Amino acid sequence: MTASETGVRPDATTIGDARRRVETLVCGLPGGGIDERMFNEPWELRAFAMAVAAYHSGKYEWGEFQRSLSHSIRQWEEGNGGEPWSYYEHWLTALETVLADNGVLSDVALDDRTREVMAVPRDANHHKAHREPIAISPAIR
Amino acid sequence: MAGPTDTRLNTQEEITARVKALEAMLIEKGIMTTEAVDRLAEIYENEVGPQLGAKVVARAWSDPEFKARLLADATAACAEMDISGLQGEEMIALENTDDVHNLVVCTLCSCYPWPVLGLPPNWYKAPPYRARIVREPRKVLAEDFGFVVPDSVEIRVWDSSSELRYWVLPKRPEGTEEMGTFDLAALVTRDSMIGVGPAASPSS
Repeated sequence: MTASETGVRPDATTIGDARRRVETLVCGLPGGGIDERMFNEPWELRAFAMAVAAYHSGKYEWGEFQRSLSHSIRQWEEGNGGEPWSYYEHWLTALETVLADNGVLSDVALDDRTREVMAVPRDANHHKAHREPIAISPAIR
Repeated sequence: MAGPTDTRLNTQEEITARVKALEAMLIEKGIMTTEAVDRLAEIYENEVGPQLGAKVVARAWSDPEFKARLLADATAACAEMDISGLQGEEMIALENTDDVHNLVVCTLCSCYPWPVLGLPPNWYKAPPYRARIVREPRKVLAEDFGFVVPDSVEIRVWDSSSELRYWVLPKRPEGTEEMGTFDLAALVTRDSMIGVGPAASPSS
């Protein structure tokens, strides 16, 4: 049995193909050289993947997202925010904007939901430290 | 154009919550599935976070005093190398030896020492790994990861939680006696630090 049959690990060719498809999409986007596009925090990758997934589901044109991202970056450049530069914060703003413009999601609803998420402690179910192995497969000598 | 993010996103914690909320809402509305987002995220999962674990391992292989400090208190030893914990939770590095092989799972969710290892791979978060690796670790390592642990070696499976995160200090490969830390670090794979594979051999 191979890894791809049991489904624990994906196969490298599939990932390579998927990567080429995504990069064709991303290479036309404004702002952010290679360094800025690197993911520093897990949420950045999640936001990145969601924008591509929502586009795949036909909720907006890629050009809309592109324009929305340019707009957010331009606003930052004009000093409206006075915030430190974060490529993926602009990415998230752009995603929220196109979703709102297309009537998918309201800002108020997202604010409410965010507060709910923050009220739940992180990994609420898994706080206890487990100090012994959970399983042992003994040596056969 | 509407400007939906009037709320100041002051902390990484807030923005993490906002992204999580957004994902939950889009899934509920049927716009995407968790699997679709996972599949896209998987493309880049090896490229998130500092992934400094390989440097820590290479130093531990080369510097016995550092290795002793690492095994005594991984959080403090990593701090020496400017690697911080998330919110100060504890990390333990488990040393693989000729007699004991360690591997790490999070049985409930996906607790993972990402400041050291980067983002967890999708399979780490998936139910098949979380369940099967605990029940039949030797078999899963051999069948799913092509990694045969000799029968003479005991396998210990450790459950990471949000309070205490484990990672593995793999065995130093044969034939690396002359190598410096820079070259050694290149042999340390993410999988070897989860315990589902060996460190790479210098010949391969």
